[in-house]
Amino acid sequence: MLADTDRIFRNLYGREDWGLEGARKRGAWDATKVLIDKGHDWIIDEMKASGLRGRGGAGFPTGMKWSFMPKSDPRPSYLVVNADESEPGTCKDREILRHDPHLLVEGSLLASFAMRAHTCFIYVRGEFIRERERLQAAVDQAYAAKLIGKNNVHGWDFEIVVHHGAGAYICGEETALLESLEGKKGQPRMKPPFPANVGVYGAPTTVNNVESIAVAGDILRRGAGWFSGLGKPNNVGTKLFCISGHVNKPCTVEEEMGIPFRELIDRHAGGVRGGWDNFLAVIPGGSSVRCLPASLCPDSLTMDFDSLQKLGSGLGTAAVIVMDRSTDIIAAIARLAAFYKHESCGQCTPCREGAGWMMRVMNRLVEGNAQKSEIDLLFKVSKQIEGHTICALGDAAAWPIQGLINHFRPVIEARIDAAQVRRQAAE
Amino acid sequence: MSLFSEVFVWWGGNTWGTRWYTWRHGKRVGEDSQGNVYYIQRKGIGPLGKPRRWVVYKSYAESSQIPPEWHGWMHHTVDTLPTDETYHPRPWQKPHRANMTGTPQAYRPAGSILASGKRAASDSDYEPWQPK
Amino acid sequence: MPKLNIDGTDYEFENGTPLIEACGQVGIEIPRFCYHERLSIAGNCRMCLIEVVGGPPKPQASCAMTVNDLRPGKDNAPPQIKTNSPMVQNARHGVMEFLLINHPLDCPICDQGGECDLQDQAMGYGIDSSRFIENKRAVEEKFLGPLVKTVMTRCIQCTRCVRFMTEVAGVEEMGAISRGEDMEIVGTIEKGLTSELSANIIDLCPVGALTSKPTAFHARSWEFRKTESIDVNDALGANIRVDARGNEVVRVLPRVNDAINEEWISDKTRYVVDGLKTQRLDKPYIRENGKLRPGSWDEALKLVAAKLKAAGGGRTGAIAGDLAGVEEMFALKDLFARLGSTNVDCRQDGARLDPSLGRASYLFSSGIAAIEDADALLIIGSNPRLEAPVLNARVRKRWLRGGFTVSVILENADLTYPVQYLGANAEGLAAAAVQAFAGKQKPMMIIGGSALARADGAAILAAAAKVALTAGVVKDGWNGFNVLHTAASRVGGLDIGFVPGAGGRDVAAMLNGGVDVLYLLGADEIDLSRTGKAFVVYQGTHGDAGAHRADVILPGAAYTEKFATYVNTEGRPQMTSRAVFPPGDAKEDWAILRALSAEAGQTLPYDNLSELRAALYVKFPHLAALGTVAAHGSLDALAHLGGAINREPLRATIADFYLTNPIARASRTMADCSRARLGAVEPAHATVQRLPTYQSVGSTG
Repeated sequence: MLADTDRIFRNLYGREDWGLEGARKRGAWDATKVLIDKGHDWIIDEMKASGLRGRGGAGFPTGMKWSFMPKSDPRPSYLVVNADESEPGTCKDREILRHDPHLLVEGSLLASFAMRAHTCFIYVRGEFIRERERLQAAVDQAYAAKLIGKNNVHGWDFEIVVHHGAGAYICGEETALLESLEGKKGQPRMKPPFPANVGVYGAPTTVNNVESIAVAGDILRRGAGWFSGLGKPNNVGTKLFCISGHVNKPCTVEEEMGIPFRELIDRHAGGVRGGWDNFLAVIPGGSSVRCLPASLCPDSLTMDFDSLQKLGSGLGTAAVIVMDRSTDIIAAIARLAAFYKHESCGQCTPCREGAGWMMRVMNRLVEGNAQKSEIDLLFKVSKQIEGHTICALGDAAAWPIQGLINHFRPVIEARIDAAQVRRQAAE
Repeated sequence: MSLFSEVFVWWGGNTWGTRWYTWRHGKRVGEDSQGNVYYIQRKGIGPLGKPRRWVVYKSYAESSQIPPEWHGWMHHTVDTLPTDETYHPRPWQKPHRANMTGTPQAYRPAGSILASGKRAASDSDYEPWQPK
Repeated sequence: MPKLNIDGTDYEFENGTPLIEACGQVGIEIPRFCYHERLSIAGNCRMCLIEVVGGPPKPQASCAMTVNDLRPGKDNAPPQIKTNSPMVQNARHGVMEFLLINHPLDCPICDQGGECDLQDQAMGYGIDSSRFIENKRAVEEKFLGPLVKTVMTRCIQCTRCVRFMTEVAGVEEMGAISRGEDMEIVGTIEKGLTSELSANIIDLCPVGALTSKPTAFHARSWEFRKTESIDVNDALGANIRVDARGNEVVRVLPRVNDAINEEWISDKTRYVVDGLKTQRLDKPYIRENGKLRPGSWDEALKLVAAKLKAAGGGRTGAIAGDLAGVEEMFALKDLFARLGSTNVDCRQDGARLDPSLGRASYLFSSGIAAIEDADALLIIGSNPRLEAPVLNARVRKRWLRGGFTVSVILENADLTYPVQYLGANAEGLAAAAVQAFAGKQKPMMIIGGSALARADGAAILAAAAKVALTAGVVKDGWNGFNVLHTAASRVGGLDIGFVPGAGGRDVAAMLNGGVDVLYLLGADEIDLSRTGKAFVVYQGTHGDAGAHRADVILPGAAYTEKFATYVNTEGRPQMTSRAVFPPGDAKEDWAILRALSAEAGQTLPYDNLSELRAALYVKFPHLAALGTVAAHGSLDALAHLGGAINREPLRATIADFYLTNPIARASRTMADCSRARLGAVEPAHATVQRLPTYQSVGSTG
């Protein structure tokens, strides 16, 4: 278990002052100037050495991402912080924005300085009204204290623009976010060119998750070695886990990467409702990864990118959705299919047409009103979407259904049989 | 039709031979809306192994003027006489009409110059300018 | 020159070639819906997926990657792509199935049937039966004006139309609203599109969602007789294909010619052809007791010949209209010369252009394609958006690339790109040019009819030429001195000298009682009330202003009905082809003049079109080189002309884009467009039956 001294988010539950004074008491904004004086490259090297992997879901090494930014380019560079946290089950960035916004503001300054950006856009999800107000208040405090802004105490002119989205899941995709930020319809762009080359307003841009940026300050202050010493190899550091579903005490908690799954649930969430014998399945990384049945979650299962990927699932945003045996797993996945159908941007064909198709088949499977051959059809359709789209939303729509069919096929077949019996009885 | 004209106009109504045969063997069973009279063989059987059935036309001998109900009876499709049927035509059914091919009332498709004497509009037509 | 291995063979390509083009260049056709080489890349149909060997483990969109984007393999081996691997096949089958699940099965009643990309590609990549048993999507129709009919249920959201309207046409009047499967292509205002190029989206639409409204349900694409020809509705000479069925011209499509029209044509070019069926002059008419009565050719020609002879050379005159071909103008000039008259003029608007000053003084010298090389443009007395919409799209294309300034001397008008207005007064044009062209490498000037068709037109032209020579508009390797004509016949007429000879009268002089017999070769846009007592012969195609005034009408052939040469504003001779025959007793125009010459006792020495052309080419050899622009000499003579420019502001010449010539004025479609532009047409959505919205089955959402 993570020692209290190793926690980065020391006000995750909002028990203390969120403001500048409170943040300073907890160590934020301490010696930021010293870090900046060490130079752009030192920060990037330190981030690389820390082994931090992006906390937005894909797990791309953050330091490496920063190093992709051009060092000498006539165009301005931008940092864009993705606070469009919309993945079902995920509620970690929200807590940071609410209770520790100064970690984000400070991290933004350090990250922007590292990649020679003078402007940072923070794109806040449309539904986050209070969170945006809190963040804006923190930014204003930082401006007032001359921590950021023109001629600030750190000697690096730096502006933060808090942009409020309109509540579209797709705008959490980095290029769609950039389009939305530019005032256009939130639809993902083609890659290449990557944002590091042509990003917002055609300038080099790095898009990072809130958590990735918010931890930067502590990593730099306490050293890369401290961060990489936590967790498992290649999956280092601490991570916010959002535990929801059929547990006794749902919570968001900061824990070491690679913590055993059962330990995470038992220690922080009070165990599965009705005990582990009542445990049916878990979606370990937010709605867009494949679910894992109880049989694939032994005591030894650890929560990190690599070991979950080996099981065909993923850590994603570490939004752990636990389901007990009272769950109608088909209905649960059908609800996700409806979500992805609703949130598909409609730009490219497979996701636009396929998400609706999958949702309709799923809805019939919930009732059992289908042929067994349609299970294979559904699987093939999901495979037809996966990998053929511009952004990853197509994949995200396909994976939950693939997970369901892989692990719960007998349940679906039994549902169809039961419906058939019912129909015959009615005739 | 007069006996006299039956000598020359064999294509309408009876001929003398038919009149004789009908008088000898026929039994009148009914008459259709056009005035054609139907007969059945009184005794014995015809070449089909059943009593023969025939019609004497009121005017011009044209078999398509036999309405469908009598047509069925004539062809031994049914044995019940149409006059004994309880069938009522639907309101949308049109009255029977003989085949008009070869007559002035023949069907002319849209655009036939035989119908209107005028050529139908064509895509290649143009509107000529007319001076005022 | 990057190398690339496609399906096992190494090739070399130009830098920046998209993979989809690269494959096309070596003969491998990649299916596509959203990609179009003249529009920006959307990459959203996902039909063009290919496999990049050694790349990510999923197929890549070949339209969105260039040959430079691929990394070489081991030992610097060229990067390798596969266009026919199982991965690619699966991906294309999958995408095709997705496109078809919500596409209606109405090919038998769809106007796109037979020339539909989706139909064609479904043959290659479709599955024989559908696995989709849910309800299909239905989408409400949209109103896009009198030219574009929509059946939006057929739309596959490729967004080509949106990109065309935004990028090429320059009016942001189409867009996509909603998201996911509810995404719809809409016109952003419900009054229809306000672009002169809007109907090009019908060609661009890969399915039957946008089809031609005027010819809806009229013909199928395989029924047409296709004739390659030239457009005469403006002086651009856009290359077109005339599709005819029977003796009816049903539609006009653009042909690709990168030097002139790329692959766009204006709405007028495309839809003026229904005017070829109305108000046609199909027999000779003779005025008797103040009324026109039908007459025979013999009678009419004899009468005209007699009048011409009676009037004597100096008292006869001829005016050629905007649609006249070079051949008939040549024959007419020849005939009048033999009758002793030099009163001929092809400048019916009174433009002060003088061919004796050299071809450079009246041509679009740089060529249309060179607009893309220019870095500054000064437009004097021209509204290219109305006078040559396709050329205007070229200017916009250049502007989009950046580093290009446009200034205009004319009344304010929306040209689809930002311009600097310098007022409508031409007096300060020299100073304006010097200012606009300061520091520019390839400056360009466009002088239009508004500046030329006025008393001081020659002075304005001369002043422009003078500053052109000093401000770097004309220099070694660059000639940016351009005259933009609006009449298809104009350059041809000037080339063959269809202007008053020594002591001859021009249009204005001929009109005010200057001649006793006035021969109008399709000239309608002159003030006919000023013809006075002259005997007017009108040879033309439509019952327009000229025919109403005429004493004798000789019915001629329209541009789709004859083989005629037209020289476009660049000085590029091109030839029309006969797609259909002239109606009734109408004849080809040169033949009428040849017959008239025999009646007049001055038989022209050519009995067929070949002999006429032979005679023409002897005098004007550059006209024989079809499709090419001959060298056009220097501007010096023009620049030394001098003259005073008056303070009168320049006025726009085109009041209504859709009604500029007799054919257009006879066209119902053009009349509809004109009314729609004035805002008189109500959106049709009120009459469109609302389709039931898409039903979701037991939605949990």
